[in-house]
Amino acid sequence: MAAVSAELRFGQVSFSYGTVPALRDVSFALAPGERAALLGRNGAGKSTLLRLVTGLLHPAAGKVSVGDWDTSGRTPESLARRVGSVFQHADQQLFARSLRDDVAFGPRALGLAAAEVARRVDGALAALELSAHAAEHPYDLPPAFRKLAALAGAFALEPAVLVLDEPTAGLDRPLRARVARALSERAAAGVVVLVATHDLAFAAEVLERGLVLDRGRLAWDAPLAALLTSSERLTPLGLAPPVGAALSAALDLPGRPVRERDVAHTLARVAAARGRV
Amino acid sequence: MARLTLERVSFWYPATERPALRDASLAVAPGEVVALVGNVGAGASTLLLVAADLAPRVVGGIIKGTVDFRGRGNGEGGRGIVLPTPWTQLSGMAFTVRDEVAFGPANLGWPRERIAGAVDRALDALGIGALAARDPATLSGGELQRVVIAGIVAMEPALVLLDEPTAELDPEGAGLVWRLVRALAGDGCSVVVATSDLNALPEVAHRIVWMEDGAVRRIGDPALLAENALCEAGLATTVADVWRTARLGAPYPLTVAQAEERWRQ
Amino acid sequence: MSRRHPFTLLALVAALTALAWILPAPAGGLGTAAAALALAAAAGPRRVLVPALVTAAPFWLFLLLLHDVPSTIAIGLRLTTMIASVVWVGALLPPGRLVEAMVAAGWGVTAAYLFAAALSAVPLLKARAQRIVDAQRCRGLSPRGGLGRRLRALRALALPLVLSVLHEVDERALALETRGFVPGARRTPLAPPRDGTGERAARWLLLVACGAALAWRIAWRG
Repeated sequence: MAAVSAELRFGQVSFSYGTVPALRDVSFALAPGERAALLGRNGAGKSTLLRLVTGLLHPAAGKVSVGDWDTSGRTPESLARRVGSVFQHADQQLFARSLRDDVAFGPRALGLAAAEVARRVDGALAALELSAHAAEHPYDLPPAFRKLAALAGAFALEPAVLVLDEPTAGLDRPLRARVARALSERAAAGVVVLVATHDLAFAAEVLERGLVLDRGRLAWDAPLAALLTSSERLTPLGLAPPVGAALSAALDLPGRPVRERDVAHTLARVAAARGRV
Repeated sequence: MARLTLERVSFWYPATERPALRDASLAVAPGEVVALVGNVGAGASTLLLVAADLAPRVVGGIIKGTVDFRGRGNGEGGRGIVLPTPWTQLSGMAFTVRDEVAFGPANLGWPRERIAGAVDRALDALGIGALAARDPATLSGGELQRVVIAGIVAMEPALVLLDEPTAELDPEGAGLVWRLVRALAGDGCSVVVATSDLNALPEVAHRIVWMEDGAVRRIGDPALLAENALCEAGLATTVADVWRTARLGAPYPLTVAQAEERWRQ
Repeated sequence: MSRRHPFTLLALVAALTALAWILPAPAGGLGTAAAALALAAAAGPRRVLVPALVTAAPFWLFLLLLHDVPSTIAIGLRLTTMIASVVWVGALLPPGRLVEAMVAAGWGVTAAYLFAAALSAVPLLKARAQRIVDAQRCRGLSPRGGLGRRLRALRALALPLVLSVLHEVDERALALETRGFVPGARRTPLAPPRDGTGERAARWLLLVACGAALAWRIAWRG
C-alpha cells in the first residue's frame, strides 16, 4: 500500500545537456494508479525524462512535480520518499551480503523503524517472488535475478511513483510475466507507474497509456492500445507494433485487441463463429 | 564438413557441483545460423563460451568432451564471440570508435589497408558510421553493443558466436543485427546465437537448439518454436502461443504472415 | 607536451622522481616538486594540478603525525614530486598510446597485455561509479552527515563498484583475448607515436643527468 498517493506532473519542461537540447516543452500528468509507457528511439530523451522525475536532473525550464513537491527544490535522496526508480544495469548497484539486506537499504536510508523496514522488505520480496532467495548473496544469483532484486529495492521504498528504465531487458518470458504482475499490483494500489521500454509486447500487457518522445518533444500522449495498432503512427517514430497487435491487425480482429490473452480470446471467438477450429 | 562440432561436452564452473553444460552435442555447418533458446540458467551462454574455446581459460573450470573447430579453407577466419555484457569487451585503449573496431584486426597483424576496409564494412553493416569519431567511453548501451559486434565482425571470423546481441538495442537496431546475421551466413560464416528474441528467429535461424538445465533437449528447424513442449516452456513464438491459447488446431503458425495465410484458407 | 613520445613522458616522470630522491633535501625535493607541479599546472590547473594536490595532501598529514618538521618537509616534497608527476602523466598519456608505443618498439604483446587488461576497465569504471552514486541516492542515500554516516555511505558506493568489477575480472581477461590481444600476437600498429632522434636524445640526456646527480651525491657524501 503506497504511503502517499501523488500525481506526477510535467509542466512545459525543457532540458539541455550543455547546448544540446534533450527535452523540449514536455507536458503531461499521470494520476495515481495510472500505468504509462514512455516510448521512443534511443536518444529521444526517455532516460533524461526519467532522471528529471528522480531529481537527478532539474529542469532548465518548466516544472516537474510529484504531488505537491516541486523536484527543483529537492535532492534525489529526499525525493526517494516518493519516487522509486530503477535504471539500466541496476544489477550493478547491489552490494549487501544478502538480498534481504540490499532491499532493506532504501527503507533504512529513509530512517524507518526496524519493524517497518522488515515489513516493507518482506512485501517487496514477495511481490517479486524472491523470498526464497532472501538470504543469498546477490552475486551468487544470475544477473536476471539481480535485476529483480533492484526492482524489489525500489518497491521497498513504497513510493507513490515508480519510474523504470527497460525493466525487462535480459529477462526471459517467465520473469517478464513476474514483473508484469508485480507492476499491476502496485498500480492497483494507487502507484503511478512510468516505464521507458522498447519491449512493446510487455508494454501492451501491463501499461495503458502511451507517451512517445521524438527528438525531445512529446509526439503522442494517448491510450497505448490505439498507438500500438497503428503502423502509420509507429513507423515514423522508429517503432513497430508488437506481435500481438500486428496479428490483430493482420487478421482484422474486431476491437483490435493488443494483449496476447485478449487476442487469443477474440481469435477463438471469431474462429468459433466462422465454424472453424 | 561441419565447421564446429561439439561432442558430449560437459562443463563445470569453478567450485560448483552441478555442471552448467551437460553432455551437449552439436554440429554447425558453414553458412548456417543456429539459435540457442532456453530460459535463464539453461546453459546457452556456457555453450557459447565452450564453442569459443574460452572454457579452458576459466581458471578452475572443468571441461569434458571434445570441441572441434575448422576455420575457412585458406587457414583464415577464427572464432569471434560477443558476450552479453558488451562493456567488458571494450579494449579501453581506443580514442575513437573507428580505432576500437580496428583493435581486433590490428591484433591479427593485417596490413593497414585491409584493416581500413574491414573496419569500414563493419561500421556500415552495424549502421554506426556516424559514430566513427566518438569516444567509446561516451556511448550509450545500444551504441556500445553495436560497436562491440562491429569489432568482432571486422576480424572476419569463420564462426561468430553471439550472446543476446539485441539485449540493449531498440527495434531498429535489433532488425539491423538480425539482417547482419543473415548476411554473415550468406557469406559462408557460421553463426550461433543465444537469444530470447524468439519472434525474430523464424526468419533468421536455420536451426533451433532448445536448452534446458544445461542439456540440449531438442534440435530442429524453426517449426520447433511452435511445438507444444516449447509453448509450455514459454519458448514459442508469440503467434504460436496465441494460436494455442485460442485452442485452434496444430501445427500452430510461427509468424503473423503464416497466421494470415492459415486464416484466409 | 602531449605530442611527445610516451617513453619520453615516462622518462621525465622517472627522472624527476629519481632526482627528488638523489638530490639533497630540502632544496632538491623543492626544485623537483616545483617542476612537477609546474608541469601539472601547464597541463591544466583544474584538471591536473588540483587532483595532484588533493592526492598528495593526505600523505603530508600522515607524515606530520609520524615525523618531525624537517623530515616531513623532506619526504613530503619527494612524495609530492612523485605523485604530481604520475598524475600529470596519467592525464596526458592515454593508455592506448602507451601500448601502441610499447608494441611499436617491439616490446612484445605480453608486456603490453598486462597493462591493457587493467587499463581496459578504467574509462567504464568512471561511468559506472557515477551510475552507482545516482542509484544509491535515489534509494535515499545522503552524502551529507556525520563521519559515521559518511563512512556507511562510502560503503554503499564503493562496495558495488568493487564487487561488480571483481565479478567481471574473468570476463575482461577473456574479452581482450576474444579481440585477438593474446601474448605472442604480432600487432599492426595503427598510429604509432612518432619518435624523433631529438626525443631519444632527450631521454638519454635525462638518464645521464640522473646518473651524474647520483655520482655527484655519492662523491659529495664520501
